[in-house]
Amino acid sequence: MIYSKIMKEITINIVSVVGNVDCTEASDGEKVYKLIEAAFREDKNVILSFLNVELITTAFLNTAIGQLYKEFSEEKIKELLQVDEMTQSGLISLKRVVDTAKVYYKDPDAMRRSINDILGEE
Amino acid sequence: MTIIANIKNSYNSFQRLINFYEQNKNRRFEEIEVELYTWFSANLCAVLGGIFDLYNEKLNTIKLRCASSGIEEILLKNEFLTFFGARKIEDNYHTTIPYARFNGTDGKVFSKYIREKLIERDELPNMSDLVKEKMREAIHEIFVNAQIHSESSYIYTCGQFFPRDNRIEFTIVDTGIGFKRKVNERFNSSLSGAQAIQWAIKDGHTTKEGVSGGIGLALLREFVEKNKGVLQIVSSDGYYEYTYKGEQLESFNGSFPGSIINLQFRTDDNSSYILKEEVNKDDIF
Repeated sequence: MIYSKIMKEITINIVSVVGNVDCTEASDGEKVYKLIEAAFREDKNVILSFLNVELITTAFLNTAIGQLYKEFSEEKIKELLQVDEMTQSGLISLKRVVDTAKVYYKDPDAMRRSINDILGEE
Repeated sequence: MTIIANIKNSYNSFQRLINFYEQNKNRRFEEIEVELYTWFSANLCAVLGGIFDLYNEKLNTIKLRCASSGIEEILLKNEFLTFFGARKIEDNYHTTIPYARFNGTDGKVFSKYIREKLIERDELPNMSDLVKEKMREAIHEIFVNAQIHSESSYIYTCGQFFPRDNRIEFTIVDTGIGFKRKVNERFNSSLSGAQAIQWAIKDGHTTKEGVSGGIGLALLREFVEKNKGVLQIVSSDGYYEYTYKGEQLESFNGSFPGSIINLQFRTDDNSSYILKEEVNKDDIF
């Protein structure tokens, strides 16, 4: 599941953690998040390997990676996290999840204001 | 006996299905007789399955009749009538996507169903692998949304191919709390059913607390736009329709007890549109 090439760098094999080539469920994302979080707490570099992954939802990526932005700074995530073997389609979804998370955690009240925007459109 | 006539993928047909539900929702320990008449869009078996299960929870007995042999044949091929004790018949033309009911925890079973019954079938020759992948992603986002948000016991699906028209109709239904209650309880707001759907479908809008998200439905809508398909959402008293031409919002008389996501995809879409948005893996975080 996890192995260390050198002590500073951890590779997390997504298929091993999820137990499936389809990464769709938020609860599976949570398992990945816990591992990344533990590694980040000790300042380890993390490589997420999506080797053999066939399907990824944003629901999975929100919990696996998006919520890192609640706990860690953008600088730290940029410094410590890398993804590997991800399809172009997966990278597009991930970029979107990350951009959404950055905005969300900077301004949690924006969600409530957006309700008023809908009412204002009437 | 209730006659459900001429049910297609349209606002008026959804209204008739809601009327049917409302008429019988308070009955208990009774026999509910239903006849499907003239036309019944096969994908909407998912809606009927959800409604029937709610009736069954109140210990009613459902007697379903098909007025025409055409409707009966298609509902035997897609296995809907097997839930009423009928024997399945072979779908030699491979145009049905079977009716199925999943538990919320059945994500991996659902994944297998979509792969085998929809994506890997030979009937999608004109669809590029990339479009198939995006379609599969979009459908899973809906399933996961129902898992996370609906608090529904089951998730129902059914579909139909129309090879000559190059289209697929596919429906996912839950009988959970619906968009309206979910959004209004979260924000202490008073959006109408249609407004709640319209809010939820916008990029980044989520009712989850402490976790970002709200991308799945937006992705689905974008896929439908590029594919020139149709997305219809029915939830509580709200109706939302999206086509590449624009959005339509309506209200129903009465309320659907959950949410219906109704999709129409074009199968003659061989685009490679996602490649236009190339993302570098070193430029994400």
